Amino acid sequence: MRVLAVDDVGPALDELRRLLCAAPGVEEVETAPDALAAVRLLQAARFDAVFLDIAMPGMDGMELAALFTRMTEPPAIVFVTAFDEHAAAAYQVGAVDYLLKPISAERLAAALDRIRRFAAPDPTTSRPPVDALAAVPIELGGRTRFVRRDDVRFVEAQGDYVRLHTPEGSHLLRIPISRLEGHWADAGFLRVHRGFLLAVARVRELRSDIGGGLLAHTDVGDVPVSRRHARELRERLLDAATKGVFE
Amino acid sequence: MPVVRAPLAWRRGARRGADAMAALAAGRRIKHDLRAGIGGAGVASAAGGLRALLDVDAVGLAGLDGPPVWSGPPAPDADELVERVRERDARAARDGVVALPVHVHDGLAGVLVIDGDLAGGAAREAAAWVGEALERAQLEASAEVAAQAELRALRAEISPHFVYNSLTTIASFVESDPERARDLMLEFAAYTRHGLARHGDYTTVAGEFAAIEAYLALARAVHGEKLRVQVRIAPEILPVAVPYLVLQPLVENAVRHGVEATGREGLVQVAGEAQGSECVITVEDDGPGMDPGYAAEVLAGRGRPGHLGLVNVDRRLRSVFGPGYGLIVETAPHAGTRVVLRLPRFQPGVVVG
Repeated sequence: MRVLAVDDVGPALDELRRLLCAAPGVEEVETAPDALAAVRLLQAARFDAVFLDIAMPGMDGMELAALFTRMTEPPAIVFVTAFDEHAAAAYQVGAVDYLLKPISAERLAAALDRIRRFAAPDPTTSRPPVDALAAVPIELGGRTRFVRRDDVRFVEAQGDYVRLHTPEGSHLLRIPISRLEGHWADAGFLRVHRGFLLAVARVRELRSDIGGGLLAHTDVGDVPVSRRHARELRERLLDAATKGVFE
Repeated sequence: MPVVRAPLAWRRGARRGADAMAALAAGRRIKHDLRAGIGGAGVASAAGGLRALLDVDAVGLAGLDGPPVWSGPPAPDADELVERVRERDARAARDGVVALPVHVHDGLAGVLVIDGDLAGGAAREAAAWVGEALERAQLEASAEVAAQAELRALRAEISPHFVYNSLTTIASFVESDPERARDLMLEFAAYTRHGLARHGDYTTVAGEFAAIEAYLALARAVHGEKLRVQVRIAPEILPVAVPYLVLQPLVENAVRHGVEATGREGLVQVAGEAQGSECVITVEDDGPGMDPGYAAEVLAGRGRPGHLGLVNVDRRLRSVFGPGYGLIVETAPHAGTRVVLRLPRFQPGVVVG
């Protein structure tokens, strides 16, 4: 990924460049101290994404982003700002994400994930029909039975297999966890850890011992949540609760 | 507060029972109509109510300028009578039409015009009654403004003690553990962002928990292994609206009692769950506890300075959610302290800004 970072505050720009360079999947990082320099760089070469400060003298980030919308192949825009008051306007000009300063490496990684997802070809064409795996076949004592996706609280990766945890016990299924994630993401399952896929609506409690880890508690066990996914899980839980999913 | 007397005896023929009830109800409706003052939206309806109650041809209500708002056919030359009342602050009458000054807090606030056959005493009484209704409306409006202002003034501030402790701790890590210093700086940013937010008066339980987790991460850096922390939260309470910074002072208190005061190891537990239509959040420490009598003094605002955080939270909760929603402190010497906060899960009028 080729990325351009724009910020008028020197230390902030250095920090952004350092974080971007350290992020996996980012091959090249250019920087610009103002909108004009950014426009010059964008004319000279193609970028996949632009990380853009909003408050800058002269042309600000918002105005610069509005210019991008006229390009034939506009880069993905991620705003980087100190306040969250611009968020609504940012999404209006088509921003992919909105980062608050100072930025954490985890949050930056999540933004880069979003950019990749936006850049990927339309997933609806390549993805199987939504309910293709609403129930999955399990071999048990030589017999085949089906486990309903709605009964699954969380999925645990075990090599090429996954273990499906349900109130009636756990079942092994031969599928990589990332593939199951692809099938079940639209059905309310969220990857909260490298080795765990969680049914968001089944979370009874979030438990954290500050400094240690974060756990999502369900009626069939606790699921570890990695720092990188904590924010998204919290957002999804708030969203689900607002919709009354837990009532 | 002035007493608003119901105009029982005005209506000719009004007796006991149904008539009296109807008169009382009408009086209450008029009072309600006058809530927004004599220039308010309800004034035409108030004039209509008075006209029915007094059983006259027309009633007009005017403020300190402009023509009266009428119920019934406007009396001819009434505008001139109104002007005379405004100039001289005294009753004026002509051809069965009478205009009377309406006083609020002893000052002229408007004019009541009555066109119809009515005993002179009844007209004066009606003007006095309208004045009192307006007075009461004004008091209610200013009480509401005062309550809002109090809520804003009580809004918790970020504790300077905590800010400098955090910065000192972060500074100490800059060379020895830059990665840690950076993480803590991010927590500090998250914490102050929440504390400095000025979008509205309310946030969500989710926002408050995020802020206390940032706070606790910093507190843990300040106190090291001595401070142990557990936070548990049920997802269904995440969207509940709360005033900004109601949890953090309780958690800071627990850290102070449980660890700072004793110097030994301490456990702080924060838990939030739904119980029926309420959201219950508890903040608990296993520190030395205190005499329950002293806890009551603290909540009454008579504790040592530095314990004002609790009082502040208690008052804000009561002011927003009603007197039944203050803090509950469960404590005894050598038994730790547990502070319980109850919130209604759905509160009309409380909107996250």
